[in-house]
Amino acid sequence: MTKLTQWLWALVLLGSAWAALTLGALELPPTCQEILWPLPTYLLVSAGCYALGTVGYRVATFHNCEDAARELQSQIQEARADLTRRGMRF
Amino acid sequence: MATGTDQVVGLGLVAVSLIIFTYYTAWVILLPFIDSQHVIHKYFLPRAYAIAIPLAAGLLLLLFVGMFITYVVLKNQKVTKKSQ
Repeated sequence: MTKLTQWLWALVLLGSAWAALTLGALELPPTCQEILWPLPTYLLVSAGCYALGTVGYRVATFHNCEDAARELQSQIQEARADLTRRGMRF
Repeated sequence: MATGTDQVVGLGLVAVSLIIFTYYTAWVILLPFIDSQHVIHKYFLPRAYAIAIPLAAGLLLLLFVGMFITYVVLKNQKVTKKSQ
């Protein structure tokens, strides 16, 4: 089974379980019902927040290598000069 | 470590995501357990908005992504037409 079918299968199972519970398959106390019906949206929002937070954290803690950056820039200039000499237009 | 603005932007993103997460968790999960006469309910919108607002935001996001893709595709087509 491919990954896509696995994910779709899991989604279908969880979605049908949620739909069945929201439409009253089992007799749940009212507070549980009230928490249950926004649950998919809640999971989506928290997944989005986690993604955003991870991106922000990695941006903030990225290790900047000054020397490597300068070396790369000089290599780019060198390559550019070489290619223009050989006749390539940028 | 990353330079100045990078750190500020990154930590800002982390803070925003934490704020949204705590507010939304309190709204969806904690509020039903709190007595409806408590003063804290004043700080939260009616429960229907807990689905409406993320849904609207998601649709807006899809709209922007679609517009961006359309713009890039059209720009590419114009470039290829000019070079023909």
